[in-house]
Amino acid sequence: MKEKKSGQLFAAAQQIGKSLFLPIAVLPFAGILLGIGSSFTNETTIATYGLSGVLHQGTLLYGFMLMLSYAGNAIFSNLALIFALAVALGMAKKEKGVAVMSSAIFYIVMLVTINTLLTLDGSIVNGEISANVKEGAITSMLGIQTLQMGVFGGIIAGVLGAMLCNKFYKMQLPAALSFFAGTRFVPIVSMAGAILTGAVLYVVWPIIQNGIFALGSVVEASGYFGTFIYGCIERALIPFGLHHIFYMPFWQTGVGGSALIDGVTVMGAQNIFFAELASPNTTHFSVEACRFLTGKYPFMMGGLPGAALAMYMTSRPEKRKEVGSLLFSVALTSFLTGVTEPIEFTFLFLAPTLFAVHVVFAGLAFMTCHILGICVGTTFSDGLIDLILYGVLPGQAKSNWVMLLPVLAVYFVLYFLVFRFFILKWNLKTPGREADGETAHLVSKEEYRKATGVGVAGGKATLAGYDEKSALILKGVGGLENLIDIDCCATRLRLTLVDSGKVNGALLKSTGASGVVIKGAGIQVIYGPSVTIVKSNLEELVEQIRSGALPEALFVEEEPKAPATPAAPAEKKPSMKSAVLGAHMKGRMLLMNEVQDDAFASCALGDGVAVEPWEGKLYAPADGQVESIFDTKHAIGITTDEGTELLLHIGIDTVKLGGKYFEAHVEEGQQVKRGDLLISFDLEAIKAEGYLCTTPMIVCNTDDYTSVRPLATGEVAVGQDLLAVNG
Amino acid sequence: MKTFTYTITDEVGIHARPAGLLVKEAKAHDAVITVTKDGKSAEAKKLMALMGLGVKKGDTVTVSVEGGDEEAVAAKMEEFFRNNL
Repeated sequence: MKEKKSGQLFAAAQQIGKSLFLPIAVLPFAGILLGIGSSFTNETTIATYGLSGVLHQGTLLYGFMLMLSYAGNAIFSNLALIFALAVALGMAKKEKGVAVMSSAIFYIVMLVTINTLLTLDGSIVNGEISANVKEGAITSMLGIQTLQMGVFGGIIAGVLGAMLCNKFYKMQLPAALSFFAGTRFVPIVSMAGAILTGAVLYVVWPIIQNGIFALGSVVEASGYFGTFIYGCIERALIPFGLHHIFYMPFWQTGVGGSALIDGVTVMGAQNIFFAELASPNTTHFSVEACRFLTGKYPFMMGGLPGAALAMYMTSRPEKRKEVGSLLFSVALTSFLTGVTEPIEFTFLFLAPTLFAVHVVFAGLAFMTCHILGICVGTTFSDGLIDLILYGVLPGQAKSNWVMLLPVLAVYFVLYFLVFRFFILKWNLKTPGREADGETAHLVSKEEYRKATGVGVAGGKATLAGYDEKSALILKGVGGLENLIDIDCCATRLRLTLVDSGKVNGALLKSTGASGVVIKGAGIQVIYGPSVTIVKSNLEELVEQIRSGALPEALFVEEEPKAPATPAAPAEKKPSMKSAVLGAHMKGRMLLMNEVQDDAFASCALGDGVAVEPWEGKLYAPADGQVESIFDTKHAIGITTDEGTELLLHIGIDTVKLGGKYFEAHVEEGQQVKRGDLLISFDLEAIKAEGYLCTTPMIVCNTDDYTSVRPLATGEVAVGQDLLAVNG
Repeated sequence: MKTFTYTITDEVGIHARPAGLLVKEAKAHDAVITVTKDGKSAEAKKLMALMGLGVKKGDTVTVSVEGGDEEAVAAKMEEFFRNNL
């Protein structure tokens, strides 16, 4: 039970974490704009590079640079709102667009509620913050004076907005109010929820704030040792993928310190750094802030490439050529962009002890940078690109980046020696050291490329119309039936499964993954930066299977189970005749998964197509016989002359009407022709009772066909070809 | 062959949604499962046939299981009926 709970918590934390990847992806770009823009509008920089001729107030170039700087800064200063939208997008199960809009409403209303309460209690007087309020406790977000909640205000709004959407998007209301039912109810309830949440936060957040301030001063007082611990924990969380959640409070809230920059109190290490970068008055970046930012440069640019060299030198000579190119590419990725997981995962699973050593070195790296007063900021991760933008360009006087160079060199040598020593001492099977006959899971660049999609057009190894690697992944996670959700972060494919016990780690690794992490129902497969391509390909394959273009059976791992199963694949599908079915109603066509009822949307009853009707008449889609009409007359079963078993179901939950408003024009057992009127119903009256009239046409014997697919979209007329069933 | 009888308590009887669930459950087993009401029988793996029985609240149905691990499957099916119908 406890295990399950921690698994769920892990899943939720992971979901928030991965939701943040969309906005985090924009940060490097925003950072580049801010970095370039602020560097070249900074007088010291301009003077250093002798550019004052073309760059001074009034020149076009200066104005352009100023614009770049402001555009970049706009992202950082509105990160809370952006996080709210992104979290809602990531966490909503359906109607994601509605969730996103509702969370925006939620966030704004929440801020205004807090603002009102603060004004009522005298903390804000005439739009000015009262002198009694603790420095930094109140700030301006989107022009609203409110409690300083950093990005967490946004995350709260996003999570709650998504939860409300998940709960209420199918909400029904009494007839008179039915306009406001369903998705339209979500923003409404979000407003109410936001007022409530704002009131709660008004009471609770100051307490949390005090806690954060207290924690912040503990961290601050902890000095170099605190920095060391921070660095260790951050790295130790990498295998769990939870490091983003750990460092976020340090980067974005008072835990990571606060500073007064150009008259504004700024909270959080990253915010402080970028405010200082943007400010023309900065003489040296704050060491107190950068102790949480700079420490990754030594091991990302120096250490891990050194480790790669050690692995290369200790690999067997005949394998060096293949292993070399692989190690070079992962080392380069780490060096340039600071994306380290590809290389970290080559040794994490082989030698956890080595990873433990790496964790301690990471802590020491943070501490060393702190002691030496090196202040090179980062948007995302610490590679060459960030070093140039936030260390070199702002200038030595501010960042002391030159001191970083000897540290990098020391780390390179240190990692090389330590890794070489332990690999030889424990005879670790790093790439290129496997015994004969045993294949490395990362063998050659060719295979690595093929596997990760790096350097191959589109990343697809097309064979027989589908992506082979995605097929292997699908097999490795126990088939389509076992797969609930596909997502990814910077380097990991994140999947939610029905049963993580069905995962075949070896098979997954054969697709080029450097590691597989399983926790509860969630698994993470680590591919490196090209994971987005892996994800798109996998999604495409899943689409192909769902649409019937590919048989699902192909992608279930063949394993000799109990004798019961072989019978199933051996059994030939009855050869059914292909047929085309006409539209059963006039209205707008909907895909099955758009139907607002899980029983239909999940195709549990069979695949098909639905129509949102514009008139209360249901017609026969093909020639056939009426098998059954329910007493409630809202559903009818027809077997066509070609053998297609169809269920036409008028409305969602309309069984509850007990037959009211429905009139049947045919009887059970009767022969009907395509286009015959079957049932008429009072569309307006049913809608007024608060029911949806969406009418699915379900092929009950979907299993007898190789595919069932819609032929039309948008507006359809009665009798128009709507659905094809292929034998 | 193993059989059991069950009286439907679900408000709407074996209607689309519960029928879909029943088919799904039945398909999970190798055995031939038949639902009988007033002499009319339907295979539990066939949605259309099942709904054609027109089973309503208060009706008593006989469920028979043949082949495979009859005992276990029958027990599973009985549990399913009790939970869902």
